[in-house]
Formats: sequence, structure tokens, C-alpha cells
Amino acid sequence: MKKLLLTTVAFGAMTGAAIACEPDYTGVTLNVSTQNGPAIASALAAAAVSWEERTCGTVNVIEFPFGELYPKFLTAMSQQTGDFDAIGFVPAWLPDFAPFLSTMPAALQEGSNWEDIHPVYRERLMVWNGEVKSATMDGDMHMLNLRADLLNDPDEQAAFEAEYGYPLASPVTWAQYYDQAAFFHRPNDGLFGTAEAYRRGGQQFWYFFSHAASYTNHPDNPGSMFFDPETMEAQINNPGWLRALEEYKRGLDYNPPGALNNGSGDVRPLYAGGTVAMNYDWADSGDLGSTEGAIEGHVLLFIVPGSTEIWNHVSDQWDSFDEVVHSPFLAFGGWQLAVPADSENPEAAWDFVAEVISPEVSGSAIVTANSGVNPYRFSHYENLENWSSVFSEEEAASYLGAQRASLDAPNVALDLRLPGFFSYTEVLEIELSKALAGEVEPQAALDAIAEEWDALTEEFGRDSQLAAYRASVGLPPM
Amino acid sequence: MQSGAVRHDRVKYAFIWPAFLIVLVISIFPLIYALTVSFQSVRLVPPIPPRFVGLDNYAEILSSGRFWGSTWTTASIVFMSVALQYVFGFVIALALHHNVRGSSLYRVVFLLPMFIAPVCVALIARMVFHPYLGPVNDAMNLFGFVNIPFLTEAPLAIMVLVVIETWQWTPFVTLLMLAGLQGLPGEVFEAARVDDIGPWRRFWDLTFPMLLPLSVAVIFIRLVEGFKIIDTVFVLTGGGPGTATETLTLFAYNEGFKKFNLGMTSALSFVFLIVVIVFGTVYLALAQRLTRRYA
Amino acid sequence: MENRTLRGLGLGLCLIWLFFSFFPLYWVFVTAFKPPLAVSQGATYIPFIDFRPTLQAFRDALSGIRGDFFGPIASSVMISLVATALSVFLGSMAAYALVRFQFRIRLLSGLTFGIISIGGFVLLNGTFDITVPYALLIVLVLALVASIYVNRLPLPGPVLGNNDVTFWFVSQRMFPPIVSAFALFLLYAEVGRAGLPLLDSFLGMVLAYTAFGLPFAVWLMRDFLSTVPVEVEEAAQVDNIGRIRIFFQIVLPMSLPGLLATSMIVLAFIWNEFLFALLLTTGDWQTLPILIAGQNSSRGDEWWAISVAALIAIVPMVIVAAILGRMMRSGLLSGSIK
Repeated sequence: MKKLLLTTVAFGAMTGAAIACEPDYTGVTLNVSTQNGPAIASALAAAAVSWEERTCGTVNVIEFPFGELYPKFLTAMSQQTGDFDAIGFVPAWLPDFAPFLSTMPAALQEGSNWEDIHPVYRERLMVWNGEVKSATMDGDMHMLNLRADLLNDPDEQAAFEAEYGYPLASPVTWAQYYDQAAFFHRPNDGLFGTAEAYRRGGQQFWYFFSHAASYTNHPDNPGSMFFDPETMEAQINNPGWLRALEEYKRGLDYNPPGALNNGSGDVRPLYAGGTVAMNYDWADSGDLGSTEGAIEGHVLLFIVPGSTEIWNHVSDQWDSFDEVVHSPFLAFGGWQLAVPADSENPEAAWDFVAEVISPEVSGSAIVTANSGVNPYRFSHYENLENWSSVFSEEEAASYLGAQRASLDAPNVALDLRLPGFFSYTEVLEIELSKALAGEVEPQAALDAIAEEWDALTEEFGRDSQLAAYRASVGLPPM
Repeated sequence: MQSGAVRHDRVKYAFIWPAFLIVLVISIFPLIYALTVSFQSVRLVPPIPPRFVGLDNYAEILSSGRFWGSTWTTASIVFMSVALQYVFGFVIALALHHNVRGSSLYRVVFLLPMFIAPVCVALIARMVFHPYLGPVNDAMNLFGFVNIPFLTEAPLAIMVLVVIETWQWTPFVTLLMLAGLQGLPGEVFEAARVDDIGPWRRFWDLTFPMLLPLSVAVIFIRLVEGFKIIDTVFVLTGGGPGTATETLTLFAYNEGFKKFNLGMTSALSFVFLIVVIVFGTVYLALAQRLTRRYA
Repeated sequence: MENRTLRGLGLGLCLIWLFFSFFPLYWVFVTAFKPPLAVSQGATYIPFIDFRPTLQAFRDALSGIRGDFFGPIASSVMISLVATALSVFLGSMAAYALVRFQFRIRLLSGLTFGIISIGGFVLLNGTFDITVPYALLIVLVLALVASIYVNRLPLPGPVLGNNDVTFWFVSQRMFPPIVSAFALFLLYAEVGRAGLPLLDSFLGMVLAYTAFGLPFAVWLMRDFLSTVPVEVEEAAQVDNIGRIRIFFQIVLPMSLPGLLATSMIVLAFIWNEFLFALLLTTGDWQTLPILIAGQNSSRGDEWWAISVAALIAIVPMVIVAAILGRMMRSGLLSGSIK
């Protein structure tokens, strides 16, 4: 209703003032769809306002529950119903959607706006099979959220150093992470160590992947985290993954009660409400903490812990490194916008996409509360003043610094992107929840996953899956 | 059932054909589609061309532990909750019928739960049963049970699901049994009262047998509908831990709408249908015998 | 004496059930007014004592940043009311026919229908590549004609009666909705391509939901109508009043409690239906359950937002339940008053 009113007013104002529409899309209505707001949908609605003003077209934002986006988009596109002109979706679905999407016009793939996008997004996430099929409108990765008030408290610092023998600071390895979680785990005071997601269907496997990246993403063997990039054999049951699972499970000891049923949505209020001393999550925890939480002003972000030991699947042994190697995991990858091939207004749609991802519109989206948009352009990181409305200066510095460090890290780990994504992740979720509940041993669970993954790869076609996997991790075809 | 004269009037067709046609048109294509696809291996993603596999899909389902597990889970939830729904629903209907004090208030509140969308109920239940922040947890704390993992341990989770189903659908039974009670001929009860037959006997010898056909119908509908439970499970446990609380429809949903493994899902749907028809026929046969014994 | 203990028991049970039924609703109502901290720091119960109530969640919802509420509400109301009316109306008629008349359908005739429809469709659509809607139409007509003809012939084999017809209606509800929803989506998409837009349309949704509600209506009304005594109708027939008038002017009014109950039940099911609404609607006719499901957002179980959405979805139903409660009380009793 409000949209209608707004567009009518805008339209009326424009026709009244007789401003030229550029380019002229009068009478064009775009159906843009994504998950229920406010995250992402409100960003699209905001961009719609400026786009409608500029081009005299109309935008209709349609929202669906997150869990139903995939089937809704896929069924509509596979039947070519022309329902959607632009869709906001999850990068992990790109391999499945790619056959139904149109390619980004060449004109959008050049110029300073294009170069402004961070190469990790520009050259890897937005591309499938050599073509740019989607546009990043949001940057996503896991980061460590800490409490500045706890870390900077001299009493805590003294006690910690006395107990563990090294100064209290942002943890750089998972061992330090668990030390701190144990140190701050004080159930009687209502403070718990950490909060991670464990629930099947609650995006828990991304939290697991963040652990695993540190132990399996070997700098010398790019792309070997999930599968062997030569043979497509599942790597998920190698000792690196086993260690990650054991630690992920150990985290349960430092979580508030009921952690097994916590999805990603539950860990955020726990951090923002001050119930836990730290967590790792997407940027949402930090945002929530500094805007609505009880810990305003004390939000401290850091790059996800790394490790000095990484599993080398080629030499079949653990490799030690002198310096801690960080493998920040680009969990989820960040929402993408694409134009389905059956859209009736592809030009207008891509024009709208360009509007949403333009530096100006996206720059204001990243500092708007609830927009769900996180930085992904160089200009987003460099303009510190922009952030003063959301963060204090220290918070902004740590937030942007942590993100930038993650993106620029040489050993950044990309998320899993394969055709048939849900088939692979379903068995992963099932076995993972069994292992976490203690119903099976970790190694047995991982072996079961590996077995099913290999079976799926066979069924889908080993060669095509291998080619797809190599492309998704940025390796040249064999 | 059938009463009075049996006619072969043409007009009977006029009465039944509109309903028959609408149901036929809407349901026949899905049936044909599902049947043909169930004999093929059809996956939308990755886009592999469909190929004929005969009974492979069915064989795979019938031999899969996950299928039998979900059947068992669904059956236990359904049978337990429907039994509770019937007992509670009937008793409450009786109380309302006899105008227990305050019944005008009860009538509204009692009916509400069934009118709420299952998704809503599931979300509310998730709040209420939260092991740390929920009121049920507080209540349990009073009794000394701290932070019971309601939703993460299979047997507890199933109990919670049964409770929720009972909460939501007892009003269904209440509503229908009340309508049935109000349709009973008053004279029979007058006569019984005159003959000084106690309320307990009145119930078992008069009320219950007269309402038996309706009870059978109500329970049957609850069973059939109950087998399709998905929203509550999806929101509360996601089917976990592992697949311990995964119901048949949730299993089908994951296969069909997440993995888009349509061949398998169609075969699963037919097997599901057969399971329900088997249960349904057995139930109806037993109910027939019971009705005949009482009537 | 007996009566008093029984009454006492009855009252006690009702009170317990009242609490049990009502508490979650109370919780939802109260949570809608809670600020975030009142949720994340433990359970709070009474406004003004445990926490300070706020209208923020309501403002968020009505301002549309959580999704437009008014559109889906309007869609839900319109579609549900029309579909319910249609299914109860047609269902009662069918139920009446099943109660007063006898149907005889040969099994062979049913088989004929099945074979011609399925086989014919596979042939027309698969081999001859005729588009789905036309193939379906041709096949349906042929199969119906053939099976009616076969029914007239004196062939051997079991004869199905009224109970089986009723069972057929109800069996439509037994099929898990996953594949049906997808297949119906395909059908609607194909019909849309052939010229009649059914996806995301009022007609398409009402059609699907009427078919959805008919099994209930038939099954339930059959039992209610069978309690209507036949003598009244027979008397009317002696006076030469047509069957249709008898149905509308005598039978329906006498079965009013059942009719109301059935209508409410069908309405509830249609109002809360999720899967078909998800697939068959897009922007224009999205219904309320989809919006509610979307409140389970990724920003943390924002219980206050969920509560507001749930309340908005519940309010129309509260009105319905209140009306129904009234009618049940105010002596629309004993449909069989002679």
C-alpha cells in the first residue's frame, strides 16, 4: 500500500515537473523478489524509490519466506513463467540457477563502478562457467564477535594471564578461542562462553565450515577443502575435518543451555543481549549488538581464528606453519541479484540491478539499520564517516578492519557451490546433528557423509561435478 | 447412511456432478503426473534428462531406513495425539453441551487454537518451549527440572509434538462432537431421566452409540490430516536430531522441494498414499464392526 | 449427587483446559508488546510489572518493512470466503445425493476411466506432443464417456456403492501435498501458456481451494444430513415438491448446526493452507500463511515481530470463532425438531 502511494506520488511529481526519464521505462513494471524483509527486501525497496524516480518505471517487491525461496524461484524459472524480473538469492544456488539466468550485459562489466567491487566477489562469486550471471549486492563472511568491555578490563586481563599464561586479546587460533570461552563461561553469573549454531535447518553447517576452513584450506592445495580437486573424491572425512568437528562439538560445553536447538537466528540475540562473551557469525551479530543490544559501544570484531597446523591431503599429513594462517570463510557469500532468462524486461531489470549495486545506493544501504547489506566494495571500506551513524569510531574501525582483512587474506576460503547443493548439504546436516547429539562418533558421521557425497557425485556425473567444483573454487579446467 | 426409499432419480446426478467434476479436474493431472514420474528418475537439479527406471524408486524407498523411520515417527505422533484429541474433545463437548458454568467464554477460547495457522502454532510453540527463555522451562524449574532439552532429544521432542497437535486439534473434535450432541433427539434422554438411569449409563448406552458414526468420521479425518504433519516439525526441530523427528511429509518435502528429486518424491507419495489407505481401510473396517455391535 | 460431582469434574476439566488453551495465546499477545531485551534475558510474563510494553513491533509491522500485511490479508479473506462457500455448498449437495440416493458404479467402469485417462494422456502428451491442457481435456471427456457407457453394460465384477464414492472423495486428502502442489503448478503454468492465466489469479486459487475443501464438506455433511429424518422429506414429496426445493428449503435449514460446523472447519483449513498458496501465487494474491512463515527470519527469532504477525493472522479467526460460539449457544440446537 505504501509502495503504491509512494510510486504514485513520485510519478505524479515527475509528470508534473516533466523531467526526462533516463532511460525511459515508463509503463514498465518490474517484479523483484527476495526473502521476507527487512533484510535485503528493504534495501531493494529503497533502491526502487530512486530507480523509479530516474526512469519512470515501477518496481514491485515480492517477498517469500527464506526457506521457500529456492523452490519458488526454481519452479518458476524452470517453467519459464516470467513471474520474476529480478531475484535476490543465495550464491550457493547459482550452479542450479545458472542455466535459467541471463548474463550480465557487457556494459555493466567495465568502468570504475565495476572495478570498485572487491575481486573476490567480482571474479569468483558472480561468475559461473565463465559468464557473469549475477551481481553481488551484499558481502558475507563469518567474523569473530568479541566484547571490548570484557577484553579491556584490567581485572579480567590479569586473571586470564594468570590462568593461561598469555595476555588476553582477540584470539588468533581456535585453541585461544576455546580458552577464552572457558574463561568467560560463568553460568552462575548468567554469562556463557560463546554461542554457535547447531540446529539442523538453522544454517548450522556454515558454522562448522568456519572451523573446518582453518584446518583444511591448505595454501598450497587451493580448492581442496571439500573435495579433491583432481578426482572429486570427498575430503570431508579427512583428519582436518575430524579435528574441526571435535572442536565444534566441544563448543557445546561453553554454550548456553539449549544450544543444540539454536539456529543462526538464535545466536545473535544471545550475543547482543550480553548473555555470551563472544560468538562468531555473520555481521548481523555485530550490527545487532551495536544498535539494539545491551552491549552498545562494546562490540569488537575480529577475523575468524586460524591455525598453525593445516591438513595436507596430498602428502597425507599435518603441515606446521610458523605464523598462524587465517582462512576466513566466506560463509554464504552474500546475496546476489540476477535476471531470469524468461523475464519480459531484461534491460530494465539489469538497469535496476545496476542501481541497487551502485556505490551511492549501496553505500547508504550498508549503514541503514535492518537493510541486511554488508560491505563489498572498496569504497564501502574506505569511507569511515559513513559509518558514524551506526558504530562508534573504534567499533567501525574493528568492523571494517576485520572484514577487509578477511577479504584480502591470501588464504580466503570460498563456500561450497555445486549443482545439487541441497542434496549434499542434507546428508551433511543429518549426520552432523547426529554427531552433535552424541548418537554417532564424529569419524563415523564424517565417513557416512563422505560416502553419500561420493554416491551423489557418481549419480550427478563425476566429470561435470568435477568441472563445476573446479570452476567454483577458481581453478582452471583440467 | 442410507435411509428411506432408494431412488434412481436423474436429479441425483445434478447434485453430485459439480463436486465430482471439480475434484476430478484438479486432482487428476497431479495423479497422472506423479504416477508417470514415479517410474522415472527425474531431477530438476542438476538438469539431467529423465530416464525410465521402472520400480527402482519404489525399491529404494521401501528399503530405506529413513522411510520406515519416518513412517514410524509419523504414526506414533498421529495415533497418540488423535487418541488424546478424541478423549479430551468429547469430554469438553459434553461439558459444553450441559452448559457448565462459563461455557460461553469457553466456547470462544476453546475453538481458537484450531483456527490458527500451523506455522503460527509452530512458531509460538518454539517460543514457549525454548529451553532457556521459555515459560515452560520456568515452570519446569519450579519442579526442579532445569533446562530440559525439549526439542533436541528425540523422545522429548515427539512428546512436545504430540502436545502441540493435541492443543491445536482438540477444538476440531469438540466442535464436531458438540454439533452432533446438539443434533441428538431430546426425548430419548428425557425418557432415560424419567426411568432414573444414571448419567454414566446414559452416556455409554445412549450418547456414545448414537454418536459413534460421527466419532468414526471425526477420528478418521484427524488421522488422515495428522499424517501430513510438517509445519510444526519443520519449525521446531527441523527433523532432527538426525532424522529422529522427521515425518513422512517432511521427508517428502526435503526430497521434492530442496533436492528436487521428483521421481523419488512421487514414488514416496504413492507409497505414503498406500500406507494411509491401508491404515484407513483397517480403521474403517474395525469401526464398522464396532458400530454394528452397538447399533 | 452424581450430577454435582460430574458437574464439578466437568468444570474442573474445563478450567484446566481453558488455561492450557489460553496460555500460549496470552503469551503471544504479551510478547507482541515486549522490547527485545524482555525476550533475550529470560521469560517475562506480565506487562508493566516484568517489562515495559512498547508498540514498536506493531509499528514495524504496519509500516510495511516486514512485508506488506494488507495485501495478503485481503487476498486471504476473499479467497477463503469464496472457496469455503463454494465447497460447502457443492459438498452438501453431493452429500445429500450420497445419503438419499444409491449410486452404482462398476469397478470395471472405474478401471476403464483410469486406463483411458492415464494411458491416453501419456499417449497424447508424450508421443503426439499435444500440450497438457488440451490432452487433458480430450482424455477426460473420452474417459468419462467411455466409463459411463461401460457402467450401463451388464458386465461382471464388483459394484461400488455410496460408501466407496465417499471414500474416493476423502482419499483425495490422503495424497501428500508435495507432488500434487508441484504438478498443479505445472498444470496451471501450461494452461496459462494456452491462454487462461491461472497462476497467481483469483480463479486459480478458488478452484484449487474448492477442490481442497470438498472432501471435508462431503464427508462431514454426509453424517450431519443422515440425521435429518426422512419423513419430512417424504411428506413434501407427496405434495409434489421438487427434490431441489426440498433440499434448499427443508433439509439445509434442518441441518444448520452441522452446516455451520462444516463451514468453519473448511474455512479454517483453507485460511491456513500454505503449500499450494506458496506455489500457485506470486505477487498479486499472496496469502497470509506465507507472510507468517516469513517472519521466522534470520535476525534471530524476533519473537515480538513473530507475535505481532501471529496476532494479525489470528484476529479474523477470533471473530469467526466468536460468531460460531454464539451460534452454537443460542439454541441452534436440535436440528431434528419435529
